[in-house]
Amino acid sequence: MIEKIQQEINHLKGLGAAYVDTRWYPIEEQNYLLMWNGNLKTTASSRESGVGIRVLYKGAWGFSASSDLSNLSALYAKAFDNARIAAERVTFPVRLAEKDAIEAQFESPCQMNPFEIPLADKVAFLRTMDEKLNQEGVEQRISDLNFMRKKIVFVDSEGSQIEKRITEVFSTLQVSGRDADGVSHERKFKLGRLGESRGWESIDMATFSKNAERIVKELNQVLVAENCPKDDRSVILLPGIMFLQTHETIGHALELDRILGYELAYAGGSFVTLEDFGKLRYGSEKLTARADATLPNSPGSFGYDDDGVPAKNTVLIDKGILVGAITGRQMVEEANAKARKRIFMESGGANRATSFYRVPIERMTNINIDPGDDGTLDDIVADTEKGIILDGDRSWSIGSNREQFHFGEEIGWLVEDGQITDVVKNPTHKGDTLKFWNALSAVGDETTWKVQYVENCGKGQPNQIMQLGHGVPVCRFDNVRIGE
Amino acid sequence: MKEQILQTLHSLRAYAVEKGYEVVIFFHEEDSYLMRFANSAISLNTNEHLIRLEATAYEGRKRATYEMITDLNQIEAMKQGIDIAAEMVHHAMPLSYDPTIPTLKADFIDDSGYDAELANLSNEERLAYFNRVSGNLETADLKLGGIFSNGANTLAQINTRSPYVQYFKTSDAQVTAVLSHEKLKWEVIAEQSAQKKTDLKPETLNQELSFLIEHYQNDTPQQLPLGRYDIVFGAAATAELIRFMNWIGFNGGLMKRGYSFLTEEKIGKKVLSEKITLTDDPTKLETFPQKQDFIGIDRGAYPLFKEGVFQGFVWNQDDADEFGAEPTGHTVTHNSLVLEAGEGDVNSLLDLVKQPRQEDILYIPFLHYMNIVNPSQGLITGSSRFGSLLLKADGSVVIPYNVRLTQSLLDIFGEKVAWLSRETIPYNVSLSYGARNPIALIVPKFMRVNDLEISHANNSY
Repeated sequence: MIEKIQQEINHLKGLGAAYVDTRWYPIEEQNYLLMWNGNLKTTASSRESGVGIRVLYKGAWGFSASSDLSNLSALYAKAFDNARIAAERVTFPVRLAEKDAIEAQFESPCQMNPFEIPLADKVAFLRTMDEKLNQEGVEQRISDLNFMRKKIVFVDSEGSQIEKRITEVFSTLQVSGRDADGVSHERKFKLGRLGESRGWESIDMATFSKNAERIVKELNQVLVAENCPKDDRSVILLPGIMFLQTHETIGHALELDRILGYELAYAGGSFVTLEDFGKLRYGSEKLTARADATLPNSPGSFGYDDDGVPAKNTVLIDKGILVGAITGRQMVEEANAKARKRIFMESGGANRATSFYRVPIERMTNINIDPGDDGTLDDIVADTEKGIILDGDRSWSIGSNREQFHFGEEIGWLVEDGQITDVVKNPTHKGDTLKFWNALSAVGDETTWKVQYVENCGKGQPNQIMQLGHGVPVCRFDNVRIGE
Repeated sequence: MKEQILQTLHSLRAYAVEKGYEVVIFFHEEDSYLMRFANSAISLNTNEHLIRLEATAYEGRKRATYEMITDLNQIEAMKQGIDIAAEMVHHAMPLSYDPTIPTLKADFIDDSGYDAELANLSNEERLAYFNRVSGNLETADLKLGGIFSNGANTLAQINTRSPYVQYFKTSDAQVTAVLSHEKLKWEVIAEQSAQKKTDLKPETLNQELSFLIEHYQNDTPQQLPLGRYDIVFGAAATAELIRFMNWIGFNGGLMKRGYSFLTEEKIGKKVLSEKITLTDDPTKLETFPQKQDFIGIDRGAYPLFKEGVFQGFVWNQDDADEFGAEPTGHTVTHNSLVLEAGEGDVNSLLDLVKQPRQEDILYIPFLHYMNIVNPSQGLITGSSRFGSLLLKADGSVVIPYNVRLTQSLLDIFGEKVAWLSRETIPYNVSLSYGARNPIALIVPKFMRVNDLEISHANNSY
């Protein structure tokens, strides 16, 4: 197969293509189980295979994909024809940043292949969790397991050949109930990074049991709690919401294709401009953020991106100043040319596609916030005069240029004079992105830093879902509007 | 191709019957084309041809599903997929209720929504359409973006309970054209949904964009003061609000699980404005409908709200089985929602801007990134985007920066509704995550709702 792919690539090069690559997925598998109130509602597996072909011709991209490999030549011809037509409307001819030709392999860390675990064991796990969640106050209890495995062979016209084997494990426990007014509330636990690998060994019964007990207890606290007040105070974000704040108002805002206007007609743009790099005070001096695809064991670590560029650890915001972006080969060239200076030295290795039938675009890797020196959660609470601790993503809505946001959380704990006082229900917080990050007044130490997994980040047209991670500490922001 | 698909399904059924399996076999084929524009260039030109086969096996109260991407030549691989589903179901856990296996009473073939000319548009035709949309509107600062997505979608089903098949084939197109100002960062949008080639009218989009551009280039931008506004929603915003109501409103299963702002006690009661009549109407081809659901229930117009009175929940078969309800023919990929027209004389943006007014009116054509803050309260939040206008009482027009609306759907569609346009339009809400699944709603072109609170106002677009 690889030989045939190389022949087809060479053929298109002979026809004038500037660049051709192929992602061949010999296999991609998924196994998903969902238990809802004791009913195993979903027991599903899937398997797919196919190829996606990307052709660059006269400065324009063409792409074609199919699961039918019986006529590869026709598929390559279609991709070439798509590029030929696209070349009729080019305003900035696509160029690709330099990279080395690489022959390499990558395998995500996995001790116990979840696809070799008997279905009965997985069902037994969900059953156990369901029993643990089936407690007073809980009306709806949901637990799921989501396993993915894929083998990707990347071949390009520049001499690269990379084979990746990636295994993903995701799991969520969720409970919901209604308060005296009939209003629903929920609490959940999402599996994050537990250790050095993410196979079946991630499904650690002790961890899940402890968290099942915790979310049931916290739900019952919320059900009898008062509403979140509507006022301005310090918000202390636990990793269970801090990851999403980071995702939506740093991650998406710093995708270079968004900054350059490639998502303007759909997902939106970014308030960041090319002139801002090296100058814009994005946050307080306590803020250092990075796109770190080298972090061991996270869905945002994948060895090599779908341009064939090795994973990198790129600083995005250095002590509050914007210095980097989430980038791939095409966008760094265009950004440098448009800025008339070399903002980006090379591709950040963040171009990824969700499947063989989608084209790679800039995606988050692990968008992390460095731990700080403001101590533990207890230390931060003790140092807070009037605040609220927030946890659990319930809703999120962000402005089209990522300039403002509104988040709803599952639970809040009021803080008065350095002490946690009451639990409150229906907490929300909202704000303007730059004002908010510049109000960052405390960053927790490494004891507060956790890697949260994201299994369903959506972007692009045709739409793509991507898996990634966020390593985040507990953070405090001052003077934030809550309860609206 | 149809005959080959049906023949394949029959032979897979024969295989399953011979093996003694109880299975339902779904077939999905998409032929998708998407030309994406950004920065006035074609940023991506792609096509995907994908065939998916899904086998759900049953064993008493147990069920399990195996899905594969395949092609029609791989009959042995498909049989293996059925074997895997049949093996998986042994290890599944029994449900607490009896799941219904569809028993089709006759073949049901519907390709009335398929237009080969639309499905098979060429690259050249897609490009020519977009060139006509953008016309003379692009400048050094004004950049064209958007998509032209078209294709064909085929769904088919067979099962071991009956020898009959269901077969649905539709064509669809979704066009989004955006002109954005590279320096000032404002954006205006025009969209079109098509079920057949003759629905494509690039000049309409060109006119809509021209009108908005004129205002955005000449009128003053402003950060709006927070407070209450009389708002006119455009078709895109109204469709998005209805889409959320479809999610957390009249779905019986979600209501039972506490994720709805409606309850059984509300049936027969006036919940919304008397101006609101909402129907699930699969006779409307513009909505890419299913005229029979996957259980074999024939689908006709199903009233949801009649002059504000809640008519009842919709029940898919699985929820109906679990909660002991009667299924309502809603085991479908999507509903065909139609919000009835009203008596408003505003049927174009020009009408709206020119209409005499005694108070300021905020026009919001599009709601960006909506989400549910609390489903049991119907509380949603989202931001304005793409061409909002503040129509001042004195007749002048101001360009508002984006604003955020956090409101209950009960308020938005409640007594504050002032009028809906006499004319309706199909609005395409398709997403292309995973398998192609064209969805459109029919909504009035404009809907005015008075006295809604703006909870956040940007100082930029």
